[in-house]
Amino acid sequence: MAKTITWEKEFGQVLVQARAQNKMVLLDFFNPL
Amino acid sequence: MGAVTYPDEKVIEFIEKNMIPIQVLFDSQPLAAKFNIQWTPTVITLDEEGKEHHRTIGFLSPEEFIPSLMLGVAKCHFDREGFGKALEMLEKISKDYPKSDATPEAVYVRGVALYKSTHQAAHLKDAYKRLQSEYPSSEWTKRAQPYSLL
Repeated sequence: MAKTITWEKEFGQVLVQARAQNKMVLLDFFNPL
Repeated sequence: MGAVTYPDEKVIEFIEKNMIPIQVLFDSQPLAAKFNIQWTPTVITLDEEGKEHHRTIGFLSPEEFIPSLMLGVAKCHFDREGFGKALEMLEKISKDYPKSDATPEAVYVRGVALYKSTHQAAHLKDAYKRLQSEYPSSEWTKRAQPYSLL
């Protein structure tokens, strides 16, 4: 099965993870159309 | 982006290694208002405190998206005077993606990062010379033009 990006949903949780893992955040605003 | 760029193996690999990804609807509040979203897709690189350092609007192919994300990560480091990490990423952009639209900006920021970390103005002039030689029609070559006078 092909790998896919695991998108997070909660902004606050993303910042916690970014601090913990010493990574930056990719924030994508998308239109499902 | 969802059909072409995000399924790309190299895009997935870069994001997994370097970033925490979050995807939200373009009108999702309060984030859409906080980041003044007018167009989709809008992709923003934030530091771990949630501060914006780079954004792109519109579709980017995998070959353009990866260096754009690399530039975003580099600018997160640069803006906080982490010049060593910024330079590492900026040089990788030039080496791995010399033809990308993000690369002239990476060359420009690299010159400024070298100047800020060494206080040697020659780095700015060198950046202009390189931009003029390799990316003569880039907006970043125009922005660096004053460095030719140093």
